[in-house]
Amino acid sequence: MSVVDPGPAAAPGDAGIRWQRPSGLLLRARRIQAVLVTVPVALAGGLIAGLVGSLPLGLGIGLGLVVVGLLWERFLTRRVAAWGYAERGEDLMVRRGVLIRRLSVIPYGRMQFIDVTAGPVERSLGLATLRMHTAAAASDARIPGLDQAVAAKLRDQLAALGETQAAGL
Amino acid sequence: MRPEGAPEASEPGDTVTVPAPPDMATWHRLHPLSPLVRTGRHFVSVGILILVLIFANHGGSNNDFITDFVVIGIALIAGVVSWLVTRWQVSDGVLRIETGLIRRDSRRFPLWQVQAIDVVQTGLARVLGLAELRLRMAGGDASGGRLACLRLAQAEQLRERLLAMAHAPGLAPAGAPGAASPASPASPASPASAASPASGASGVAAPGPERLLFRVRSQRLAGAIILSRTGAYAAVVIAGVGLIAGLSGAPGAAAYLLPIVVAMVLTVWRQFNGEFATSVWIAPDGLRLRSGLVQTAAETIRPGRVQAVRLVEPLLWRAFGWCRLEVDVAGSRQRRENRSEGQRLRALIPVGSRADAEQMLAELVTSAPRPTLGAPAAARWKAPLTYHFLGWNGDDRYVVASRGRICRKTTWVPLEKVQSIRWVQGPVQRRLELASIRLDVAGRRVTASIQDRGAAEAQQILARLPDQARAARELNRA
Repeated sequence: MSVVDPGPAAAPGDAGIRWQRPSGLLLRARRIQAVLVTVPVALAGGLIAGLVGSLPLGLGIGLGLVVVGLLWERFLTRRVAAWGYAERGEDLMVRRGVLIRRLSVIPYGRMQFIDVTAGPVERSLGLATLRMHTAAAASDARIPGLDQAVAAKLRDQLAALGETQAAGL
Repeated sequence: MRPEGAPEASEPGDTVTVPAPPDMATWHRLHPLSPLVRTGRHFVSVGILILVLIFANHGGSNNDFITDFVVIGIALIAGVVSWLVTRWQVSDGVLRIETGLIRRDSRRFPLWQVQAIDVVQTGLARVLGLAELRLRMAGGDASGGRLACLRLAQAEQLRERLLAMAHAPGLAPAGAPGAASPASPASPASPASAASPASGASGVAAPGPERLLFRVRSQRLAGAIILSRTGAYAAVVIAGVGLIAGLSGAPGAAAYLLPIVVAMVLTVWRQFNGEFATSVWIAPDGLRLRSGLVQTAAETIRPGRVQAVRLVEPLLWRAFGWCRLEVDVAGSRQRRENRSEGQRLRALIPVGSRADAEQMLAELVTSAPRPTLGAPAAARWKAPLTYHFLGWNGDDRYVVASRGRICRKTTWVPLEKVQSIRWVQGPVQRRLELASIRLDVAGRRVTASIQDRGAAEAQQILARLPDQARAARELNRA
């Protein structure tokens, strides 16, 4: 997690916003997840096509699926780079997305509860995902790939801020 | 607001500002006939099943009937047992409901957190003079409470009392400013809310003075439902089935499609039944809605609980100058038997003229800004059809945004109710240098979308709105 300039997927807002990034390990986690999906799918696709059709067909389809996986990986890099969050005085900003760019502003007082979750891949790398819930179902804000210690600290910090600034429905 | 109630409220030891009448503080049972009403729905479905079986078997084996009666018997016994072990009590401003034979389930509903209280009568309950009381809290589906069933008069009396207690100042803890704020957008201009403290302060609920705001016209409602999406679907399906039956030459073939037709007719009927004779009254304890043909419902939306107001103008309705006005209230309706209802917002005006809507809007929204700021010309490329209706505006209390192609939707959101603000830019929008701003409020997917603004303008809005929303929240709290 480091303080960096807005980067390629710069979102609007004040130039003075200090955007924080998820851990650099997030890209590795996403790559592992991509491999875990691509390899079995390519194997299964290739095997089925090879058994039903001919050997070249099976090889072709298997390789094709691997290429799709590699393209996906290219996209992952940009997507991971697009994540960012900024703690401001009264609210938290979260930005994400490459194709569809999104930026959410969530007042601390509106947070109903905060989740910290970690899947098996994230856990093995010592990462966690922070998820903030408001009373509105639509405001889905999460920050993936935080160091577990950072996530826990941020959670406590946000909860404390939420308590002091809480507003009724 | 109520100086005569204040000394009581300030006593730290006394949490009951409005002393509950002695008859409410003790434990109560529900009405003895409630098992019958609660299993009533099963009677109907079992009856249909029996009819189907009779036709299918041509009076075949009697075993089917025996199993059916066993099922009904078990349902009734279960109902009686659940009635025996269910009891309720109101004390310290909290409604407690205890139920369960094996696994005791004791739930408490703090009245200052109540979003709305409904009195619902199903058809059978109406015949027996019973009614069900439903409490809506802000949480999810399972968070509401229901008392089924009470005598109608008792249910209405209880609702008055609960609402009066819910309104008592000092009952609300500091964390729930919405409960105590008298100056709320739901009844801003209502002189009644300021002028009649008597209804709550005395503890004995005299129904406050009501003022009729709107009553739906039955013929117009029927016409509107036929011209609505539900009606259109039903017409298409029924015409399709008729066509199949006619073309195949054998009407028997269409019998397989009969369930679809029945389902369609039921959907239309349900909507008609639910919205029939909708009337909206304004009273000190909030907006009162009454509606229903067979199953009637009376609900009260407390002032300050309206999260958003939406004006819907479908294409076909526009030809007649009709529109629909809906409000979003946090917390979902507890109505398992009627899922489709839960998906939509609460319609204050199921169908009405523009004048009706304007009048209602003036009651709900103190300063209703109009979506006069049109979208930039670049948006024409992204949304050629919608472009005409895209617009937004805002002042320091409300934001209004309109969109929609066939169905024009204009949404007013009080800034103090905004939960989160989102800025979104898709690939097409990026190319055209556009962006959208969405304001989320509590409830079911209600979002005011300021669609397709110029990138610079969107950035400006995004920079300004969080501060404005905070100012509105603080104003509301003060």
